[in-house]
Order: sequence, then structure tokens, then C-alpha cells
Amino acid sequence: MLSPYGLDIIESCLTCKMRAERLFCDLPTAALQSFESIKYATAYPKGAVLFVEGQAPRGIFVLCKGRVKLSICASDGKTLILKIAEPGEVLGLSAAVSGKAYELTAETIDPCQVNFVKRDDFLRFLKEHSDACFKVAEQLSEKYNVACHEVRSLGLSHSAAEKLAKLLIEWSSRNGESQKQEPRLKLALTHEEIAQMIGTSRETVTRLFADLKKRQILQTKGSTLVIRNKAALRSLATTG
Amino acid sequence: MSQSCLDCPQRPDRVFCDLAPDALQEFDGIKSLHVHPRGTILFREGQPARGVFLLCEGRVRLTVCSESGRRMTLRVASAGEVLGLSATLAGGCYEVTAEVLEPLQAAEVRRRDLLSFLREHGETCMHVVHLLSEDLHMAYDRVRTVGLVRTRHSHPHGPVLTH
Repeated sequence: MLSPYGLDIIESCLTCKMRAERLFCDLPTAALQSFESIKYATAYPKGAVLFVEGQAPRGIFVLCKGRVKLSICASDGKTLILKIAEPGEVLGLSAAVSGKAYELTAETIDPCQVNFVKRDDFLRFLKEHSDACFKVAEQLSEKYNVACHEVRSLGLSHSAAEKLAKLLIEWSSRNGESQKQEPRLKLALTHEEIAQMIGTSRETVTRLFADLKKRQILQTKGSTLVIRNKAALRSLATTG
Repeated sequence: MSQSCLDCPQRPDRVFCDLAPDALQEFDGIKSLHVHPRGTILFREGQPARGVFLLCEGRVRLTVCSESGRRMTLRVASAGEVLGLSATLAGGCYEVTAEVLEPLQAAEVRRRDLLSFLREHGETCMHVVHLLSEDLHMAYDRVRTVGLVRTRHSHPHGPVLTH
């Protein structure tokens, strides 16, 4: 079935081809059957807000397709993007478990398919299926690791150049690119969004990219960024 | 100092410790109690996780470190908390360094014993999930104070930095 947003909707978790590759989804059949009965499969367009920081938790959102931007906000409106969630990730998890407000805002940056589960149903499901509970513990552990990494990066980096270099190295390490002499990555975010990820301004990010290109550390080929000089970028990431 | 969790007067007030008697009895069997003086490093950031440390009494400072050796305090953990939980469950490395701030009594549980225990006692897994959620809330709070303060001011304040 095709949704209005061009997504090929996955109707059943039991027949999903990606199931085995995703931490939370790879549950025993009995647990997955139970999960099927409590989930609501929904499609969202780009730019949809799944939940807002500070909102009371109403449930969890399992991201099946598409990507979601997770951000936190200061009282003056300044935004920090914590990460871009990928398919397989469970959003709103810690809030749903603890009952505290969502700590982040989740906004889709692609058309997305999301399986929503109401909080009470999810907690009951976890109590009945210890395997699922274990998977949730693993997902929370991963998120904690990411949050610590962010604190380290934001709190201990000397400069915006250092933080940008770290971010580019992290992105280029995905999809097997890190082994290549000149890793490539698709820049899916605007300079403004990259600035929000590393806690600086859009103008600084634009200036830094221009500087890195001038020094031939980076090169752009359309929407693809090529890292021409890995060693120089790594050096920037440690010393700024 | 309580040797058995079953006799501990703090038990009902602590998320992880408030287990059913049979689970607690088994937990008594897999834990080892240790007293650590101030300044002891329980585990270091980047070290492969070997197990968890349930703080019975005392306080521990959790820090992260840059490649150049600059250190920042994430927060101070207190009695009732379980340190090293996420790394132990994930089978990765400790994300922080844990340094004892005042004389500490801790119940230590090796990774493989903890994983077996959690698989046998499903209700304990829910306690662990709650603890991890709390840890994550605190980490996000830290990200907020560190990341958003620095976007507003040219100099950071809040985090305690040492070299």
C-alpha cells in the first residue's frame, strides 16, 4: 500500500524485511505478535512534529522509515540538534518509561513511517515480555552513550572548527566510508542545522566549510562532500 | 554496614534495590561488597565494561575527558544509583570515569552474572529500564546546560573543567 507521501507502508512487523537488522524489532514471534496488536502504523510528511520537548509522554514512536531530527531548545529559542534518528530507533522511550515529559522535540526530515504505541500499552507489553524489556534497556544504553558523547564534544571541544571536524569524521565513518582514502558523505542538513548540532552559528559553519575547501581538506561534488585530507581533518578534530 | 540486601533499611527507597525477596536473595549471591576510600577510580572512560557498581553509601564523581586531557564533571552520583549500567548491558566501554568522592560502599556485580540475573528475573529488568531512563534524563539535562549555554555565551560556565 502506498501512502500519500510516496512511502511503501510496512503493514506487519512479522513480515518486515528489516526486522533482523534492527535492535528493537528483532523480537521473538510471540512478542512481535503482541506488539502488532498495540501499535498504530502512521505515515508522516517531512516537517511533521511527532512530539515536543516538555510535552507529557503519550507513548513511543518506532521509526520504520525515514529520519527524524531530535533537538532541545533554550528559553530564548536557541536550538541544539542532538542527533538524527534513523530507522529502527525507538523515540520517546525514556519519557514513556519514566512518565516524565519528553526531553527532546522530534521533527521528521523525510517522509516517515512510524509505529506509535500508547504509553500504558507499552509498559504492559514490557512487563509481559522480558525480551522486549531487555531490548529497551539496550536502546536506552545506546542513547545514553550518544548523550555522553555529545556532552564531551560540546563541553570539551576548544572551537567550532574542532566540533565540525569531529562531526564530519563521525558521519564519514558510516556506511564503510571510513576505510576509503577519500571518504564521501551526503550532506543531508543545511548549514543552519549543522550549526545547531555543534552549538554555533550558521555564519561560522559557512565560513568553516569555505576554509576547509580552500585548504583542500574538503571538496564538494554536487550534494556530496569528499574528504580529501583525512589526516588534516583528524588533526583539526583533536586540536581545533 | 549491611552485608545482605535483605537487611538493608534503605531498600524500599531505592529503585533498583526494591526487589522481590527471592530476587534479592539471588542478588546477594552474585554481588561482592567493597569499601573504597576517597580518590579510588572505580572505572575509566573507554575501559571495556566488566560489571556494575551499586552505590550503597557514599558519592562518586562522573567525568568525561577530551583527547587533550581536559576533564569535565558530568554529575555526582549518590547512594542508590547503579553505575556502569548502560555500558555493561550494551557490552561496550564505560562512557565516563567514576571517581570516589567520599568513602564508598558499593555492591559490584560482574557483567555475565548481571545478564543472567536479569534474564531470570524479568521484573528486575523493568527496574533497570527505569534506572536507565533516569540516567538518560540527567544526561540530556547536561547536554542542555552545556550545549545551549555555549551557544549563548562566548565562554562556557556550568561545567567544571580541569586539565
